[in-house]
Amino acid sequence: MVIDTELLPFFIWLPLALGSWLKVTGILCAVAILFSYLVAAVRNGPVRGAQLVGAGLRGGIADLVFLSPRRTFALARLAIQESLHRRVLVAFALFAVILLFATWYLDEATDNPARLYLSFVLTTTTYLVLLMALFLSVFSLPNDIANRTLYTISTKPVRPSELVLGRMLGFALVGTVLLTVMGAVSYVFVLRGLSHRHEILPQKVTSAGDSQAAGPTSGRTELAQNHHHDFQLDADGRGRTDVAQGHWHSVQVVRDGDRVTYEVGPPQGALTARVPIYGKLSFKDRTGTPTQKGYNVGNEWTYRSFIEGGTLSAAIWHFSGLQAEMFPNGLPIEMTIRVFRTHKGDISKGILGRLVLRNPETGLSAPTPFVAKEYSTDLQMIPLELTDDQGKKVKLFGDLVTPAGQLDIQMQCLELEQYFGMAQPDLYLRARDASFTTNFIKGYVGIWLQMLLVVGAGVMLSTFLNGAVAMLATFAMMLAGSFVTTIRQLAFGELPGGGPVEAAVRIFTQRNLTTKLEPSVTTQAINLFDEGFRGALKTLLAVLPDFTSLSDTDYVVHGFDIPGDMLLTHVVTTLAYLVPIFVAAFLFFRTREVAR
Amino acid sequence: MSEAVVETRNLSKVYRDFWGRQKVRALKALDLEVRRGEIFGLLGPNGSGKTTTMKLLLGLLFPTGGEALVFGKPATDVRKNERIGYLPEESYLYRFLNAEETLDFYGRLFDMPAATRRERTKQLIDMVGLSNAKRRPLREYSKGMTRRIGLAQALINDPELIMLDEPTSGLDPIGTREIKDLILKLREQGKTVLLSSHLLADVQDVCDRIAILHHGELKELGRVDSLLTIGDETVVRAAGLSDAAKREIQAVIERHHGSLVSMGNPTTTLEELFLKIVHDSTARPGRRITGSGPGESN
Repeated sequence: MVIDTELLPFFIWLPLALGSWLKVTGILCAVAILFSYLVAAVRNGPVRGAQLVGAGLRGGIADLVFLSPRRTFALARLAIQESLHRRVLVAFALFAVILLFATWYLDEATDNPARLYLSFVLTTTTYLVLLMALFLSVFSLPNDIANRTLYTISTKPVRPSELVLGRMLGFALVGTVLLTVMGAVSYVFVLRGLSHRHEILPQKVTSAGDSQAAGPTSGRTELAQNHHHDFQLDADGRGRTDVAQGHWHSVQVVRDGDRVTYEVGPPQGALTARVPIYGKLSFKDRTGTPTQKGYNVGNEWTYRSFIEGGTLSAAIWHFSGLQAEMFPNGLPIEMTIRVFRTHKGDISKGILGRLVLRNPETGLSAPTPFVAKEYSTDLQMIPLELTDDQGKKVKLFGDLVTPAGQLDIQMQCLELEQYFGMAQPDLYLRARDASFTTNFIKGYVGIWLQMLLVVGAGVMLSTFLNGAVAMLATFAMMLAGSFVTTIRQLAFGELPGGGPVEAAVRIFTQRNLTTKLEPSVTTQAINLFDEGFRGALKTLLAVLPDFTSLSDTDYVVHGFDIPGDMLLTHVVTTLAYLVPIFVAAFLFFRTREVAR
Repeated sequence: MSEAVVETRNLSKVYRDFWGRQKVRALKALDLEVRRGEIFGLLGPNGSGKTTTMKLLLGLLFPTGGEALVFGKPATDVRKNERIGYLPEESYLYRFLNAEETLDFYGRLFDMPAATRRERTKQLIDMVGLSNAKRRPLREYSKGMTRRIGLAQALINDPELIMLDEPTSGLDPIGTREIKDLILKLREQGKTVLLSSHLLADVQDVCDRIAILHHGELKELGRVDSLLTIGDETVVRAAGLSDAAKREIQAVIERHHGSLVSMGNPTTTLEELFLKIVHDSTARPGRRITGSGPGESN
């Protein structure tokens, strides 16, 4: 899985985030007040304008402070009744229908059916719930204004803040219930979809010993869901299969008199929530000099760097905080290595490499060779006792890991003119596995956060736009929020080709992206305009939610535990957006005429 | 003189389009005062500014100029709504709710506790005669029933000031009579009623004072009885006369021993007055109050 931004611990992130939040909201408030004053001053003169803005601010604050829970919940209840009336359950029916027919199209023969099933249910749920939230939230207020049902409500002692908050709460609750039900159904769907048993025919079992009763036994299971497993049994008749399609089964011999049958357990290890410990990655070039980056083999995507085989070139992960109690059975290293071959070599064989565990203080090191598995994740279990360079026995904890818990893991490619490629998250210690069910729920919390943001933005935009326009605007926010990275690159001029005018000039004059424009007045004018455009983008970035990043379903799909710090960060981020969205919605609504 | 419940000073409203260009001057410098305990009628042809006035008083629209005060507070202050009941021109209610749910919902908006809401709901449903249909969603209601439930929601908070926009429109004669009786009953309870209508007979029957609007301007304001009085004519109402006596009646009532029932000024109908004002106003546009001002009566 690609993780290209580093996760800050929550309590380090919080003050930084809070600081920039206060800055942005402060600027927004100041701009809003200044703008209202200008409008009021033009219409009513400077003194009366100031009085009006002052009164407006006082009234606005009163509206926020004196919210009545009963009225707010009455309006939330109305929003729920309205949603039911508007056939919100259709979304669920559609979901059920999609699931019913999904198994026809989900390919059982894939490498990792769990990933396929999970990504399918999570994507479907996300789209359906977000669409539903969008439709519910943007049409409600404009409909009430068009039907004039709002007249009857606005002439009751209802504050605009209650009207907006009630709606947001109501729709959020509808979305939450729908999401919960969809989540539960998805969970069962995935479990049932992946569940299967293999048969073992006695004639396909070979025994290493004289009889089946004693000695290790091995064999192959029958086909189920397009795959089979090889298995080994120990002398007690117990054992397990190898890993195929991302899972394995337990196998046990059952004897009934002379009859021998084999009992195969349910699939295990398909649904995981790995808790990885990441190290910091640095490199050595072919002469052994430390560098920040490895070699570039010509990939446009610079996420991974490469090390050259048969030289001193190496990738080193620096781990810290390792303790013996965390790894009672050895050090499980999981790695996904890209292999870049400059010549075909023996294509049926993997490229050889080695991992060297090294004490960063004493320099004591112990190598472990491996064969790189291309396109799949490999687990290397490093035993607690190893042999060092000189052939002496060393202890993992005690000799290799420092007392402070530091350890370097160095990877080298052993074959000349072949390369290994890696990024920091490609090698990690699989410290433990968290509960898959909890992780699945955490994944849904991410979708829930997105849903809340859509409801909030939808209601906010519908306070001053009509339904269709509000829907487009909310959709545009979601879309732009999915391209925050690209927008950021554009805003900071990191993309080759320049801003819109420069890019247009390059297209029409058929120039490539990297040649510099010759200095002239025209070029200056082009730069000036593009700089303005970048400024506008930077302003947009300050308020645009990074929509896709709120949901961590990728973690669930790839079998990684969603870190608690990350989830907390996303919850707080969503809240940080919802508060100003609510205030803006209420202010827009307060300053508009309900009647026409 | 009792206190003013509703007061407008120089109240004007200009409707503008998206670009801020003036479309219609819906209300021009309106000065009105409605006092506690009276039934006040806003009269005028369609598009005269009745509904605009009412929406300004309810805070549904913001004034372009002047002030609209309700209970001495600006009309945009939501707190005034605690003491107001409003029946819109058409009952704009949620059609997927039934009568009980509707009243319960509006009761919640007044922050009423559950017990009070239940009691009020039952009482009002009985009062407007919808006990048999209280569980039916409003979309199944006839126009008259919708009007009744609309009235019930306007009274849920036992308001001091009730604003009724065309209260009898769409009702049959019996329904109209019931509404008029109810309005009179509300006055007996000391409530203030502000109603707008173009059904002149209704206004004539119930209103204490009226204002006639045309093209957003106040054309006439005063007590209904004095407005409808014609000062330079005399009417004699008599009974038990023979045909012969009738021929000479003006000179010889007393001599022929007929009994004099009443003698006074004849009144015109409101309809005639209304049509005359509209006709005059169209012929000679401009602001004009021929009748007595707000301080004249009571």
